[in-house]
Amino acid sequence: MSQNGLVSGVAALPEADKRLLKLFFAAALGALGLGVLFGASTALARAGFVDLGPLAGYRAMSGHGVTIFFYWLYFAQAGLLLALAAAYGAPRAGFALRPLAASGVALMAAGLAASLYALYGAMPLLYDAPPELAREPSPAVAAFYAGYLALSAGLFCVAAAAVATTLRPLARGESWSVASFASVAWAGLLMVTAIAAFTAFGPSLMWALGLGTMPTNYSTAWHVLFHNMHYLPLMATVLLWYVLIETLTGVKSILGARFSKIVFASYLILVPPTSLYHMFLEPDLAEPVRVVGSLLSLFISVPTVLVFLVIVVSLEAHARAQGAQGLFGWMRMLPWRNPAMSAIGFAAANLALGGALSFVLIQEKLAPLLSDTFFVPGYFHFLTVGTVTLTFLAALVYALPALTGRALGQPGLLRWLPPLATLGLVLFGTAGVTAGYLGVPRRVLDVSYAGDAPAAWGTLMSIVGVGGLLMTVALGLYVLVLALNLLPLKRGAGAAYPEVRWGGEVALDARAWTGPLAIAVLLALMVVFSVGAFELMKALPLEAIGGAAHH
Amino acid sequence: MSEDSFLFIAVFVVWAALAVVYATVPLFHMPEYAVVWGWGAVIFLVLGVLAARRRSRR
Repeated sequence: MSQNGLVSGVAALPEADKRLLKLFFAAALGALGLGVLFGASTALARAGFVDLGPLAGYRAMSGHGVTIFFYWLYFAQAGLLLALAAAYGAPRAGFALRPLAASGVALMAAGLAASLYALYGAMPLLYDAPPELAREPSPAVAAFYAGYLALSAGLFCVAAAAVATTLRPLARGESWSVASFASVAWAGLLMVTAIAAFTAFGPSLMWALGLGTMPTNYSTAWHVLFHNMHYLPLMATVLLWYVLIETLTGVKSILGARFSKIVFASYLILVPPTSLYHMFLEPDLAEPVRVVGSLLSLFISVPTVLVFLVIVVSLEAHARAQGAQGLFGWMRMLPWRNPAMSAIGFAAANLALGGALSFVLIQEKLAPLLSDTFFVPGYFHFLTVGTVTLTFLAALVYALPALTGRALGQPGLLRWLPPLATLGLVLFGTAGVTAGYLGVPRRVLDVSYAGDAPAAWGTLMSIVGVGGLLMTVALGLYVLVLALNLLPLKRGAGAAYPEVRWGGEVALDARAWTGPLAIAVLLALMVVFSVGAFELMKALPLEAIGGAAHH
Repeated sequence: MSEDSFLFIAVFVVWAALAVVYATVPLFHMPEYAVVWGWGAVIFLVLGVLAARRRSRR
């Protein structure tokens, strides 16, 4: 394995910091394992393969959303943020404010425990937990909100410790690397998200404790929080691509560090202006605000596309300098047998599909028609599983052996898990999006409607179930292999993952057309999906306006 | 001012402006948005100042 910033930095951390990171990653993998089990149960119930009954079914559905969207994604982010902050700064000095970081993991773990208690002690609230669904205050409902608030407080602590850690090189008069600058931006957005969580869940907790009235503005506060929670994992994903590609190939951006920093800053610039589309389902939203929100939402993918372009253009230019021929010949030179490269490659493809489909949903005229259909889980799993989760797992494939000093088992198996997960995802997503276009409702466990539903609905949900099972197998194996590495079992150094070394300078006028071509394909997909959705919706004998539903 | 500091200050300006819009313009009146973007503006201002101060101690 290469000895560069990520790997050598994590390996050089003091033992106390390594123990702390292991706690973050163990909790992340535990949450992922639980979430996968909850998700598999939900998918099997929705497919009609098992009958869980309404209570157990909604517990599984809620548990899936809570453990994956809140705990897996944020335990993983917290650990990876700390790892990058230290590895690209002064790794031997370790984390600044270590007790604060330790408090962070303790608070997040307490949050997970409270959330799990609430899942089984109260009516399942779904992961967005609107208070009106709970109807009555109770200790278990209070535990649900307290769990989210403990998670948020923990994230704030971790982000503050990460920022303090990145300041060390500046104190020596050095400037931030791109990874350090982007880590600070990531930490800042995590802090903002923690504040947004307190505005959303604080009043609900007071109500659930019997100390206040039921909040009337919950959905607006939730939408702000939810918008940030969309952005954070994607921002983390592209930063990890940036770091991992350098690890795997030695390639840094040919456009320079300054341009990369501007691109990462653009994530932050565009977070607030693009947030209005979450409000499209609110019936009292003024029409001019809808129009402005619709226009601004088009910018949402700009930073992600820019980072993708920077990485692909840089890779292609370096590969051509190494003698690559033909339009796509350079891609064959990438180290695809490396499990992290395989995961990143499939993550990029899944991001294109999920991103193009997301543009259908953020259009003001289509949002009310599709937001409560199975279109939503159909498209967002391309992002949550296919893009973000595969990328986080790719990062753990490199970070865990550096932490434990033990090679991962089954590197050959790991290489095939991203395609297996993607195969499941394609089945799940294609059938799910089609089902959504045909009106299959979201969050309804049994869509047969006593035999009155169209026959195609049942067929499509069966395909969703099969796809869900394939994803379960892939992610379950990932969790097993990575968790075993955290156990103090004897294991040798292991074989090095295949990598290439294309570092050095290349001419800026080198041909690199794959990136722009990929963007053209992405735009074409967006047009096809949007036009298809409009035509389909125009053909339906109904009209919809907002109904204050929840994403 | 370092480029890192400048970029965070730019973020602060955008977030603060939007917080003001959400707090004061009746058409966009959403206090929850104003609170979150407003606190966010403060955080990025602090990050910008930290980056600038540390750099100046060279």
